[in-house]
Amino acid sequence: MTANAPDGKTFFHAEKIYMPQAGDSRGSQMVLGPDKKLGFLRDTSIQPFAPKEETLEISLPPGVETAELEVRLSYQPRPGNVYPLHQVKRRVSLTR
Amino acid sequence: MPRSIKIGLSVLSLLLATWLTWVTPWSLAAPQTPKDGLADLIARYDSSGCRECHEDIHQQWEQSHHARSLMGMDDWIIMGPYLKGGPLAIKDPTKISAAANFPCAKCHLPQLLDAPDQAAAELAAAVLADDKATVRKLNIGCVVCHGDKAVVHGRPEPGVLYGSRDIPDHPGRPVKKSPFLKSALFCGQCHGQGPVLDFENPIQCATLYGSYLHGYIPSGGGQTCQDCHMPAANHYMPPNFNNRPETAERLRQALPLEVRAMAYRFQPKDGDIRPLMVVRTKITSRAGHRVPDG
Repeated sequence: MTANAPDGKTFFHAEKIYMPQAGDSRGSQMVLGPDKKLGFLRDTSIQPFAPKEETLEISLPPGVETAELEVRLSYQPRPGNVYPLHQVKRRVSLTR
Repeated sequence: MPRSIKIGLSVLSLLLATWLTWVTPWSLAAPQTPKDGLADLIARYDSSGCRECHEDIHQQWEQSHHARSLMGMDDWIIMGPYLKGGPLAIKDPTKISAAANFPCAKCHLPQLLDAPDQAAAELAAAVLADDKATVRKLNIGCVVCHGDKAVVHGRPEPGVLYGSRDIPDHPGRPVKKSPFLKSALFCGQCHGQGPVLDFENPIQCATLYGSYLHGYIPSGGGQTCQDCHMPAANHYMPPNFNNRPETAERLRQALPLEVRAMAYRFQPKDGDIRPLMVVRTKITSRAGHRVPDG
């Protein structure tokens, strides 16, 4: 998620990763690869019948009354291998 | 017996033998225990013979990841890195075995686990040589799903294939009905419940079926894997990650995204004015399991 001021300058950037996070059942370190994974430490993946909802409160920088918001959702099965899914843009303004 | 009759019988026998060989691509005898290495394993599980009568299904399957179960996305050999480093790496080239070096075969190539170690050793050589032409010949083909994996109540009968109905005179091998083929667990045999503790080096890859069993079903889900991934018995079985636009669109449909945003001046106490932008996102899943998995 990225928020830009009218001059194009990015004043906010955040990323959330949704994925099952496996350990090797011998400690608290997350591991990668089927030859090492055994069990889960945490699971933030998107579950059936359980929508993922996020609410972010972002401070607007001084003097910025209008912002361009961009939210992207992508699927990345391997590093660098990205499948873009959604790209949503919104414009918000303090001026009504 | 007159000579002319003997000659006629000989010719008739020859014609009959030729016709039988042409119309029955597989031996009518029960399949033999694998004796040789990788070539024998490939031959025993070759699905090309099914194509003669099941052209459409075979074409669908050929485009699926089942047809290239040892090849990763974009055509690379998945076992390469694991044989070179890590717990599955080859430590002694004279002691290569499916159990020690290819536990992934439990799902990616189950027929390897019943084959002699020679097959595993030859597969390792092909993997390390990046011999894609050979590795591509190994897959989850017709005989794996409609034979080895088709029955869990008892064991599949040797020399028998399984399908949606009984066909005693099916060419090559008789077909018996197995209702199990339509159950989610049929797919779940390989598409994972989590840790695999069968081997000295445990592994964990897919947990899709576990998610389906313990997440989707308890939440009220009622469809099987086949309902979504094999509609009308289509053997394409998406997603096909090598078709990027198609996969992206499938995921887009499975995970709709809503975004709402507004801006206002928050004033928690008199004079403390904080211009804020509030963004709400909501990702809904229409899948029968967690996304992503693995």
